Amino acid sequence: MALVICVALLSAPAFAHHGASVYDSTKLTTFKGTVTEFHFMNPHTEIIFDVTGADGKVDKWTGEAPSLTAMSRLGWSKGMFKPGDQLTFVGNAAKSGSHIMRLRKVVFPNGKESVIDRSEDYAE
Amino acid sequence: MFLRVVAVMLAGAAMLAAAPAAPAQTKKTSAVKAQSPPPPADLSGVWRRSRRAPDKARKYTIYELAFALTSEEPSMTPWAEAKFKANKPNIGPRSVALSESNDPILKCAPPGIPRAYLVRAEPIEIANIPGRVLMIFEYDHFVRNIFTDGRPHPGDPNPTWMGDSIGKWDGDTLVVDTLGFNDKTWLDNDGHPHSEDLHVVERIRRVNHDTLTIDTTIEDPKAYTKPWGGHAIYDLKPDWNLGEMVCEDNDTYQDMQQKSEGKAPQ
Repeated sequence: MALVICVALLSAPAFAHHGASVYDSTKLTTFKGTVTEFHFMNPHTEIIFDVTGADGKVDKWTGEAPSLTAMSRLGWSKGMFKPGDQLTFVGNAAKSGSHIMRLRKVVFPNGKESVIDRSEDYAE
Repeated sequence: MFLRVVAVMLAGAAMLAAAPAAPAQTKKTSAVKAQSPPPPADLSGVWRRSRRAPDKARKYTIYELAFALTSEEPSMTPWAEAKFKANKPNIGPRSVALSESNDPILKCAPPGIPRAYLVRAEPIEIANIPGRVLMIFEYDHFVRNIFTDGRPHPGDPNPTWMGDSIGKWDGDTLVVDTLGFNDKTWLDNDGHPHSEDLHVVERIRRVNHDTLTIDTTIEDPKAYTKPWGGHAIYDLKPDWNLGEMVCEDNDTYQDMQQKSEGKAPQ
């Protein structure tokens, strides 16, 4: 059930670009998370990561990024993110409270940042 | 590199494929001249629609800058108005839900011209080969042959998705003249319609090393009471190659979105 809902919002930017309003573009949400899956593909790339709350509860989040083609131009590749990688994810979270964010930036343990160019999406 | 090989193979295949059509024409227009003078201007390169605002007059949306032909609404005939109302896009200011959209792009129909430039605002590549300018679209790997060997349009062109294109140089500007369209495409992402009488003229000019401008004029008296179009600015992307974009890859998202539409997120 949760997966279907996640994808419903996730799929919004592919063709239904009105879906960009699904994300809160007024503020950025930051998480420290552990990668569980990385789907490097068209039309959208997904990084799925676990976030451990203060109470120890683990939540699954999906960070959505532009297409494989767009991201490879920004230096991403298939092997960029591996399960177990601990990274900081910055993005616009879904307004509904669903655990999806439109990724704006990924920060690596060494402090290096990958800023995601969202000028591929018109509903900016 | 691979795409250049593909482009040359496609060009070769096109030359072979053109031969059977020759008997219908009194003039041998299918064979491309092996030698032709070099073009007066070099438009070659990978170009991507600029996201930079053309002026500081107001804020421009990315949709206006890269996904639209113009911000002005064209003057439509009653025939076109009816079609426009019936066309339901899935993106842009007139967008409806995916399950309600009848955009032919969603079934991966060819985008036609000028929509091939606009669908996902992805880059194009321009390459010169003798007797023609090749325009390759990252969007679903479409290739346009713009014949610059002096040939006219065929007397009775076959209606095709992408039309028949010929190019003439006006100084350093390539003037591309395209007709012979079927009426199955939308002109743009907003769903502006056209008839088989569509005639598109593009004036393509490299204003400086890193900038290309394309001025598009649409003429279709059945659909529009006067010509209209837009001015587009493209940035050179010297370190880009066209990537692979396969329209059918969008199916996964469409299927999932169709199933989930209408469900309230938790």
